[in-house]
Amino acid sequence: MSERVSKDVGAATAALDYDAELMLRVKDGDGASFAILLEKHRSPVIHFLYRMVQNQAVAEELAQEVFLRVYRSRATYEPTAKFTTWLFRIATHLALNSLRDGKNERTQERLDEHTEDMPVRQLPDGKPSVEQAMVYQAKFEEVRQAIAALPDKQRAAVLMHKYEEMEYSQIAKVLNCSESAVKSLLFRAYESLRARLAHMA
Amino acid sequence: MLVAYSSHKLDAAKTAAVDEHIGGCAACREFVRGQQAVWDALDMWEPEPISADFNRRLYQRIDAQVTWWDRLLLPLRPLAFHRTVPLAAAACFVLAIGFVLDQTAAPPEQQPAHVNAVADVEGGLQPDQVLKALDEMEALSRFNRLMKSDAPEAKM
Repeated sequence: MSERVSKDVGAATAALDYDAELMLRVKDGDGASFAILLEKHRSPVIHFLYRMVQNQAVAEELAQEVFLRVYRSRATYEPTAKFTTWLFRIATHLALNSLRDGKNERTQERLDEHTEDMPVRQLPDGKPSVEQAMVYQAKFEEVRQAIAALPDKQRAAVLMHKYEEMEYSQIAKVLNCSESAVKSLLFRAYESLRARLAHMA
Repeated sequence: MLVAYSSHKLDAAKTAAVDEHIGGCAACREFVRGQQAVWDALDMWEPEPISADFNRRLYQRIDAQVTWWDRLLLPLRPLAFHRTVPLAAAACFVLAIGFVLDQTAAPPEQQPAHVNAVADVEGGLQPDQVLKALDEMEALSRFNRLMKSDAPEAKM
């Protein structure tokens, strides 16, 4: 009987994803599995948080909290959803709280008023001319400010849709809302972004 | 659907259908053009590099949260996670409780008086004593029958 239950749980886990299986190993005290999960998801989580709060130091601090919570929750972890859904739910929750509490006020100020103080970003390919670098920097700032101008939930939805390539259903689970609500959030968000960025085509 | 189309998330059949539609619909064509511009603009936004000591800081924080109790139990942790160990621990607990209760219920060394009396009776019982005891029991039995016959429900 217990063997059958164990097999059922195992099959359900396998059906979910390999990450959930790793997390179950973490639950069983396997530190190496936690290291694998951290290595695999560290970049997406930090990048998502960075684009949410637009401050690298705050993003890393929040990401530390995300993985700390994952580690702390290992004993009670149950693979009821995709691991990434659970992970991004924690990340989004922390990011929204941080934005609400104004922890990154300094960044917003900097974005709105002192963009010239921001470090100049390098073009991805080779050595750009000064003019190319300036154009790129201007476009980059425009994109960043357009994202920053979105309401928090719309921003989270767009970032998960665009950069994490999540389906509507997964975004809905992360944001704890319906799929139609996600479609509505994305429609309004992209409408705002089109108004600000369509000229860049 | 146009958002999905612009982000190349539609399958071939749907993509072909949208292609056909936007060929003759200026509004949808404009929507798709704008959406693709947004998509390309967002592609420009490369994330910042991650601090080299991110993992080290995280493990330090995790380590700082481990209590002295956890440290004490650390060598036993692999055992604690084994499936049979909780069962064995529960069985040991039940056995221990049973042993304690058994010890509590065991007769003390000093025997009560009536036990000593029984022992005496068994040891040196006289025939007249036995007859007397039987007479007393018979009297008690009669008394019980009498009491029952006097009870109200019996009268009814």
